[in-house]
Amino acid sequence: MQGRDKDMDTAPIRSIREIPPEENVLSGTPACAGCGGLLTLRHCLKALGEKIVIVNAASCFTLLSIYPFTPFKNSWLYTAMACAPAGAQGVRDALDILIKKGKLDPEENLKVVVLTGDGSAYDMGLSSTSGALYRNLDFYYICYDNEAYGNTGFQQSGATPFGSRTATSPPGGVRPAGTQLQKKDLFEIWNSHNPPYLATISPAYPVDLMNKFRKAEQYKGPKLFISHSSCPPGWGFDPSQSVSLAKLSVETGIWPLKESVHGKVEHTFVPKKFKPVEDYLKEQERFAHLFKPVRQEDILKSIQGMVDEYWRKYKLLP
Amino acid sequence: MLRLRFHGRGGQGAKVASRVLGTAAFLDGYNVQDFPLYGAEKRGAPITAFTRISRENIMERGVISDPDIVIVIDETLLSDPKAMPLSGLKKGGVVFVNTPQSPLETQERYSITDHVITLDLTKIGLDMIGKPVLSSLAAAVASRIAGIGEDALRDALEKELSGIISDRGILEKNAEAALYCYDAVVPVQMKTTEAIREGENVINIPFETARVSSPAINATGNTPLRRTGNWRVFRPIWDYDLCTRCMTCVARCPEGCIQVNEDGYPYADYENCKGCLICARECPVKAINDVREMHSQSEEGEL
Repeated sequence: MQGRDKDMDTAPIRSIREIPPEENVLSGTPACAGCGGLLTLRHCLKALGEKIVIVNAASCFTLLSIYPFTPFKNSWLYTAMACAPAGAQGVRDALDILIKKGKLDPEENLKVVVLTGDGSAYDMGLSSTSGALYRNLDFYYICYDNEAYGNTGFQQSGATPFGSRTATSPPGGVRPAGTQLQKKDLFEIWNSHNPPYLATISPAYPVDLMNKFRKAEQYKGPKLFISHSSCPPGWGFDPSQSVSLAKLSVETGIWPLKESVHGKVEHTFVPKKFKPVEDYLKEQERFAHLFKPVRQEDILKSIQGMVDEYWRKYKLLP
Repeated sequence: MLRLRFHGRGGQGAKVASRVLGTAAFLDGYNVQDFPLYGAEKRGAPITAFTRISRENIMERGVISDPDIVIVIDETLLSDPKAMPLSGLKKGGVVFVNTPQSPLETQERYSITDHVITLDLTKIGLDMIGKPVLSSLAAAVASRIAGIGEDALRDALEKELSGIISDRGILEKNAEAALYCYDAVVPVQMKTTEAIREGENVINIPFETARVSSPAINATGNTPLRRTGNWRVFRPIWDYDLCTRCMTCVARCPEGCIQVNEDGYPYADYENCKGCLICARECPVKAINDVREMHSQSEEGEL
């Protein structure tokens, strides 16, 4: 039922100068200074405009709205961790029924946007997301992935990368790597459902982000976005480094910027020369045990090896 | 029993300070409790942490509403209606404030009649550790005021910080700066207060249906009223002679706090800028400088 939004410009932009100036998530939130996820959200909502409903699964961002304050100009609904896509189905159905009955002007139609962290997207909400994708629900999904349960003190999630420290996977004698398990490939999990549009985004690449939303706009059905989101307290770095680290994760090849249209994957940015993963790892306290007190060469090699293998698979690395 | 309450902002180290003090007192032979109050807030937001120290068994539980000693790690909290660090302070209690000002100036400025001790912890942190992380410094000050021994403090710092700081050098700098603060505070004679008060701090919350008890916000876009500008330790300042109006800082600000004036030059909304300084780091021509925020001497500090 969702009609094309006349407010949303679909022509691609070329530079940050063309990013719309309107702010749709305002300042004064309780989010940490330098929050990479908030920077992602700010650009996403510039792309989506005001005529949306956010269905937010419990996460850092459910704290953006604390009674009696909200940073949003749009409506917003709080759900438990596992069920934001189910909530989105209810909201979508309600809007469709109201329009069908003539109780809501189609001009007043709203886009339904699910907003969750990685704990919900990779772990607890995976089944309800799978259900929504299966039913081809017409909605947007924005996952800000800071690679752990950041809101409760940075415990390991399905998105936590191998070799990093979290509150529940501290490095030590028996587990010198810290986190021993591999990060799930959520992009591929979602992609196996063949959604019309799926993309990875980064707060450091707002032009790429904006154009992906503009492209997604033409598709009816699930439109999914996963943003790597730098997290100053969880990853352990100075808030001012938030953008430079998000940039490094792309330049080292750790976070590939790509999109998939009906299952066909294309990379939207390929670094001309990949930086070594160490450049990214050594800036963060959660990887400090890989360098000090002794350098853990085997673990560093294995992380670089996984990144190289990924890009070789797509024939983008010799 | 001594009851201490720490007031800081998330990330400054109030929680760790209460923990280090608790461990130091424990190593000095006392019974101890220490715990933070977790709210729905993040780094930069007001944080409270508590320590109880007693020769006797401690039978009290829950937050401390009537402290003997209040440690204010962030001066701006003294005028923050959400934090109210001085509320419930016992008569004859002691207030420590992290500020460059003297005790007398601080007493006058905030109309405090209790005994005030001051020290510029932020400057000591920046000078001696290189970061405005103040947990060990605040713990040292609190230990001195509470009458905890220097050796116990030293051991507690080692025990508590070695688990969270992997760099030995930074750990030692922390200990050195902490002991400097310990010596810089003049000890005062503290009168300990009665052990247990019964049933005073319990608030009964009646059962309400979800429609009544879950809040609905009917306003839009009103968080700027919260004014998160007092989270800043450093303030970004633009040099328009160098600025090329490239819009990088505007695109990089997570808060959406940077706008452009009619000539196309960027400026920040200091009422809400949290001072993350991404703008200063990302500026391609280095036209943005950071200046240490002196909230007590600036207009914004009084907002």
